[in-house]
Amino acid sequence: MTTDPDNSDFRYPLRWRLMDGAERLLEIVWPRRFGRFTGWLLLLPALLLVGILVLGLWQMAESSLHVLDRNTFLPSEEYTLSNYGTIWQSATYFKVIWRSVQGAVWTVVFTLLLAFPFAYVLVRTPRAWVRKLLLIALFLPFFIGQVVRAYGILIVLGTSGAVNDVFGLIGVGPYRLLFNFPAVVFGLVQYMLPFAVLMLAPALTSIPQETETAASSLGANWLRSMRHVVLPMAKPGIVGASLVVMTLSLTDFAMPAMLGGGSQDFIANAIYDQFFRTADQGLGSALALLLVALGSVLVAVIIGLFGAGTLGMGEKK
Amino acid sequence: MSKKLTRRTMLQAGMATSGAALLSGLPASRLFAQEPEKPKEIIVRAWGGEWVEALKKGVSDPFTAMTGIAVRHDLTEDNEIQPKLWAAVAQKRMPPIHVNWDTTTNATKSALRGVTEDLSDLSNLKNTTELAKPVGLDGYPIVNTYGYVYVLAYRPEAFPDGAPTSWKDLLNPKLKGRIALYNDGIGFHFPAQVAGGGKLSDIPDNMEACWDFVRQIKAQEPLLGEDPDFTNWFQNGEIDAACTISTNALAAKKNGIDLAWTVPVEGCKFDTDGLWVPKGLPENELYWAKQYVNFALTKEAQQVWLDGLGLPGVVPGLTPPAGLEADPSYPTTPEDFEHLIRISAKVQVQNESDWFARFKEIMQG
Repeated sequence: MTTDPDNSDFRYPLRWRLMDGAERLLEIVWPRRFGRFTGWLLLLPALLLVGILVLGLWQMAESSLHVLDRNTFLPSEEYTLSNYGTIWQSATYFKVIWRSVQGAVWTVVFTLLLAFPFAYVLVRTPRAWVRKLLLIALFLPFFIGQVVRAYGILIVLGTSGAVNDVFGLIGVGPYRLLFNFPAVVFGLVQYMLPFAVLMLAPALTSIPQETETAASSLGANWLRSMRHVVLPMAKPGIVGASLVVMTLSLTDFAMPAMLGGGSQDFIANAIYDQFFRTADQGLGSALALLLVALGSVLVAVIIGLFGAGTLGMGEKK
Repeated sequence: MSKKLTRRTMLQAGMATSGAALLSGLPASRLFAQEPEKPKEIIVRAWGGEWVEALKKGVSDPFTAMTGIAVRHDLTEDNEIQPKLWAAVAQKRMPPIHVNWDTTTNATKSALRGVTEDLSDLSNLKNTTELAKPVGLDGYPIVNTYGYVYVLAYRPEAFPDGAPTSWKDLLNPKLKGRIALYNDGIGFHFPAQVAGGGKLSDIPDNMEACWDFVRQIKAQEPLLGEDPDFTNWFQNGEIDAACTISTNALAAKKNGIDLAWTVPVEGCKFDTDGLWVPKGLPENELYWAKQYVNFALTKEAQQVWLDGLGLPGVVPGLTPPAGLEADPSYPTTPEDFEHLIRISAKVQVQNESDWFARFKEIMQG
């Protein structure tokens, strides 16, 4: 920065001077010659977070190779695959794993069925108040935690809840609507719906409305236009939403714990039991690694079959 | 409370503890010529709801009044605080709490792992019954503070012909989907062994009778939960009967739920809870943590604390709470214990994981 010698009273605006100061400070802290590493610097916090996760997984992998000595409640010294053997031979864990996968798949199916029309109307509606209403309905659940939402479901669907009250008005029931597998899937769908809509909406926004108009001008009715134009073009959003909903559902703890009545455990609940109920960290770690592996395989299969969707933004079209 | 507690009584107890420490040959660094520096607060892990309210009223508040040390209650679940304490001791960090209110079974695991301080030098131990002593452990790594019974709690309106007399009454088709157990089956394994036609002496080697009976109960589609769930489920009309700790049934009754409880002919599990102090505390905080446990063993503290819980303590001469004088959930005499099942903590600790796994295997099917 230079000053005009003929006008010594001239001062640059404060904002300019502050920016100059900030630039000088930046030059000291992160000299210009390091510029080519700036991208990595910005990535560093995220990489550190992932690194901590990897470190934790590594320690869990180590822990999973020791069985619990019940005389001292310390992990045994020797390395063994016994914990994995216990899981392999256990009918309970097979049931729990199978239930988790089924729960995740059903949740994806029902969530997408509900989220797609929601996102479509959100994106296409010409009325601002409808869009605002839908946005409020979408974001309101984000302000309420998962546990509180599950508790709300317990109240509404309980034997003495609002739904059974309505049944009572027409002379039927009360019915046990809670503490079964459908109740868990219902809770998961309710929890996942906003995530799926948020993943689908950008994909639908990127489809020009003129494309649908063109399809209808060529004779396609709304259904054919939806099937042959909108759905194929929205595929990246559908795949992205499926991946997010699948992984979050597969690893969920609260909904099976609260809405399952104790008999609908998912893998996360089995892991909790081992870590906190029987103090068997080795077996808990083995189950946790199995969950990571299972989730990775499912995601790999989906990406292999359909691509990464909106999660693979950089890939070639 | 018949006798008023004073600061002088408390200090006498403290000096007696120091004296006991001297006699037991502790290193000089453990001996205090005078009262050690007081921390601003000590942290006591507790169960929430009625449980912590009773502890606060009977032990924590009077302790604060006498010593000036605030007591903060940490409501982390007992199972969840356990790995944190174990990790803190293993890493030589200061533990997150000063006193752990714990089940005897869980506390025994911690004692076996070597993370508990020895409490043998507490002066008030001499006034306690045999129930205070942990079975199968050297010294007092934990002090049992009361006993409790896993009763059969029920809604009288669901049993119009009178109270259930046997655990087999839960197999009545009318109760399908209307009964509840703990989600790991705790409290139910031993009576199930008897109800299934087995012998208690076969525990832990042959418990097939237990598992047979659990399978029959599974066909009744029971709800499985934790302490707070039982109260909610009774309150919301979800269940008619449950195997639960009598304190929960008492709490639900106090909340206005029409509830009763009984000890069926096969018997009920009797167990104990206790207090222990984790290793790794600074010397002065360790001293005051021990004083807290010592105070919890006074007759005055036990009377108020256990009135709130409706449970029998470990100090002779306590007056049963109103309404529980001849209650089967408040055993005080040898006759009262005849229908209660008590299995040593050592057997439970070594086999609990297998029992939980077997119970889960049946219930998750």
